[in-house]
Amino acid sequence: MSLTQNQPEAGSATEPHGKPKPRFWTGRSEFVVVAVLYTLAILLTIGTATMNVQGKSAPGPQFFPILVCIVLYLVATLLAIQILRSPKVPDNSIHPGHGQFSADMLHDLGHLGQQEDEAYNDARPRTPAKSWKTYSDWRTVGLMLAGVVSFVLLLEPLGWIISATMLFWIVAYALGSHRRFFDVGVGLLFSSIIQLAFGAGLGLSLPAGFIGGIL
Amino acid sequence: MEQLELLMGGFASALTPINLLWVLIGAVLGTAVGVLPGLGSAMAVALLLPVTFSLEPTAAFIMFAGIYFGGLFGDSTSGILLNTPGNSSAMASTFEGHRMAKSGQAAKALATCAIGAFIGGLIATTLVVFFAPTLVKMATVFGPAEYFALAVFAFLAISAVVSESVVRGIAALGIGLSLALVGIDGPSGTARFTLGMPQLFDGISVIVITVGLLALGEVFHIASRIHRDPVVTRVEAKGMARLNLADFKKALPAWLRGTAFGAPFGLIPAGGAEVPTFLAYGTEKQLAKRRNDPEFGTTGSIHGLAAPEAAANATAGTAMGALLALGLPTSATAAIMLAAFQQYGMQPGPLLFERSGDLVWTLLASLFIGLVILVMINMPFASVWAKLLSIPKHYLYAGITVFSMLGVYAVSSAVLDLWLLIAIGLLGFLMRRYNIPLAPVLIAVILGPMAETELRRALAVSEGDLGILVDSPITVTLYAVLAAALVLSAVQHLRHRATRKVA
Repeated sequence: MSLTQNQPEAGSATEPHGKPKPRFWTGRSEFVVVAVLYTLAILLTIGTATMNVQGKSAPGPQFFPILVCIVLYLVATLLAIQILRSPKVPDNSIHPGHGQFSADMLHDLGHLGQQEDEAYNDARPRTPAKSWKTYSDWRTVGLMLAGVVSFVLLLEPLGWIISATMLFWIVAYALGSHRRFFDVGVGLLFSSIIQLAFGAGLGLSLPAGFIGGIL
Repeated sequence: MEQLELLMGGFASALTPINLLWVLIGAVLGTAVGVLPGLGSAMAVALLLPVTFSLEPTAAFIMFAGIYFGGLFGDSTSGILLNTPGNSSAMASTFEGHRMAKSGQAAKALATCAIGAFIGGLIATTLVVFFAPTLVKMATVFGPAEYFALAVFAFLAISAVVSESVVRGIAALGIGLSLALVGIDGPSGTARFTLGMPQLFDGISVIVITVGLLALGEVFHIASRIHRDPVVTRVEAKGMARLNLADFKKALPAWLRGTAFGAPFGLIPAGGAEVPTFLAYGTEKQLAKRRNDPEFGTTGSIHGLAAPEAAANATAGTAMGALLALGLPTSATAAIMLAAFQQYGMQPGPLLFERSGDLVWTLLASLFIGLVILVMINMPFASVWAKLLSIPKHYLYAGITVFSMLGVYAVSSAVLDLWLLIAIGLLGFLMRRYNIPLAPVLIAVILGPMAETELRRALAVSEGDLGILVDSPITVTLYAVLAAALVLSAVQHLRHRATRKVA
């Protein structure tokens, strides 16, 4: 699940001309995560406070959620402080397993030295990467998101085969496939095989959509 | 030797043609997801769980056994050939493995990996067969307080001790615990955080959470970087992976040392094979220095590759023991396996051996069969597996996206689940973007309900006295070990921060 590909040169976040003007948000976009944590904590708080408690067991059903709420508020606040104190740009370090493991710890455990560090640096691009305004490619992510959202909206009216073909096509297109017509065929083949193997073979109920009404 | 008899019974039911076919399918799928960077056994099992629901549990678990080990067979292939490990569990074997490939010994390196993975897995699974009953006996003396301590140990070990950032690790834990809270509370029957929607009374399905975080989240993450990350160059491996006798003799002690590092770590919730593989690599490096081995760090030493590879599979093997006997998942993949048991209405732990003994022993037998099949399909066809790396990424991820939707829809034919999937997929993307670990979420989702129930049970017995939580030698030991590990890790973090400031 987790991968260790190197984070590319984060020159990605610099402006094209000259020295970037450090703005407050530069390197602090992780506040999004803080917002998610606070939202979750607030939702839990409201849910716990308005809970329609059944039975009289002690400790009751509100006990554990309260503990989780405390943890969430605490962690969100600590994370906010961390981001304020040390914004994360540029980030050239390696994050084993997307932060699951401390690189420093693995470094010590494996007695890693310069050799291994160089091996990693060799894997990185030699030529300076082109600069982008944002680290993430929001156009591609947006296309993907549009694809999955429209799939969910269209699944029941259009049926599995058509909507899955469309989803396949959009994702392949977003990720850089240039063979537009060919991809329709690949998608159709893929979704039909799934329909046959899992629908007919293993008995999953996949929506037939309007085609089911015609046939 | 009651175990041997039971195991033979397991072999008898696993060695039917149809079950062999399931092991083979599992082994092929497992190796494939292992080879492909960014995918892994955890994701493969999560994606297959819902669509295999109509299978008999035995058949499904036999297949999962193949996937479980297969992921660790495949993950070093891309490390060796591309210098990009398929998973972080293959990081340590990439250093020497890629050096060997660059100096023209790719076939030898691939063979060392396959045999190493086989030996590590074989020894560890054998240990499980002999010690599982002991673990089960140990677990029967566990009361609510002990189980709660075990859960706390797993939570903090995985989120705080090994992780890069303690705050981010615990944040992930909090997210997981909150997701697990949704639904009807078992002991009291209270509906919690369901927003009044009856579809949520059963809680958010574990499948939605795992597929969202591991599959859809990964696709979003890839989408965010695919036009920006550089393309890596591949070293071609020609012919079949092979190892001559001299090399075999050279690698054997390293394989055994690696296994010795890996096996104990399967029982500790340290997030999987990363820690033991690095320990094994470090040991081989020190030994090479003492021996004045000129190959280490230049043309690639077979020792430096063999040890971590065996360690990884040994960890996976004993992790299966901890999962079956104690119900304790020690890595993300083990957590998904636990979820798989729960989907089939079984709860791993001491009772599993009593209630579903047949299934357990068949599963253990198929782990052995899986290892044999894996080494058979990995040794001769290593270069074929490497061809998987040339599948166009856009088709691969398009297929995964469609398959995630299929799996989640198959659970209960509910569109609401698909919306939840998208939301959790975006969460997974966000977490990858900011290097917030995913394993704590999975462990919290799987163990959270158990932790809550046991804590409330313990406090109900003691009538609210918190003292009961540290009332037995087992709990005291667990908390003491955990505290020591936290202190060690804090010292480690602070020391590195200090050296960085100086530099």
